[in-house]
Amino acid sequence: MSGPLPAPPAAGTFSRRSLLLATLAGTALVSTGCTGSSGDVTDAVTPAQVDRLAVQVRVQEEVVAGYDQALSSAPDLVTALTPLAAQALAQLDRLRAAAPGDTGTTAAATSGTAAPTDPAEARVWLRGVVAASAAAHAEACPEFTGGRAALLGSIAAGLRGQDGLLA
Amino acid sequence: MADGTSSPSTSPTATDMSAEDAALQDALAAVHAAIWGYGVVGAALPPESRDAVVACELAYLDLRDQLVALLSARQVEPVADEPGHTLPFPVLSPVDAAALAVVLEEGASATWTWVLDQASERSTRVLAVAALSAAELRAVDWRALAGRTPPTSAFPGLPQA
Repeated sequence: MSGPLPAPPAAGTFSRRSLLLATLAGTALVSTGCTGSSGDVTDAVTPAQVDRLAVQVRVQEEVVAGYDQALSSAPDLVTALTPLAAQALAQLDRLRAAAPGDTGTTAAATSGTAAPTDPAEARVWLRGVVAASAAAHAEACPEFTGGRAALLGSIAAGLRGQDGLLA
Repeated sequence: MADGTSSPSTSPTATDMSAEDAALQDALAAVHAAIWGYGVVGAALPPESRDAVVACELAYLDLRDQLVALLSARQVEPVADEPGHTLPFPVLSPVDAAALAVVLEEGASATWTWVLDQASERSTRVLAVAALSAAELRAVDWRALAGRTPPTSAFPGLPQA
């Protein structure tokens, strides 16, 4: 027995640098025309990426709205869904912080049908919303680099886990 | 191994690729640890739970092969498995086994988010986000078995805010 288990050696560096950049970039890059004047190309965003991040914020707003709808339509699910809804909201907050120029003022609403009132059906409906959002974030993730890629990938994975739990 | 789909306006430099390769090596080390660790997990679970363990082991064996092939194609020597590992706690019951599986999956997730952070190649990020999602899906099942509430994580692989 010799090696420690497990050993994610880079996690400390990760939190110190990239996540801070991802979080702070929302304000820093707006004033520099989103060209990464900080000199760190890894965390620079193009105008197209700014638009894509705004799309992902809307996607996450739909998840949050989906939980709100499911909880109001089927109160029997409150115990099961409240912690997941809180996680979805935390994801939205962090995504907004990483999205240059996002004001966070857009009203959240699901674009599809309303949540069913039957708890089992509401759960299935919500699962569809969560799964679609997980797939959208996973598809967007590789289009970014640095902290934003990590954040989008992590949120996609988190929603994928919720999808599995709701199954 | 540039795939021509890296950052939108730049080509990856040698330094970029070196950072990506180093992150992939971390991921491979975590994969080696997971393959070893699932042997311990399986030994502590009742026979009826072994199918889940085998599925996890197979997923990591496949990842190991992918990473070894990827690094070798770049003329990078893949890290070898440690001759042995130290358990983070005694594994004496099925709940302990599930908790160890959570440690394995969360350790792997941390390395995959690091790969996402460091990768200059788009294809590497595609691999990483798929691996990260799969790890979290497995982690949810193991957290539930270990009695964790909620069994999901808002930010798999990222440090706690």
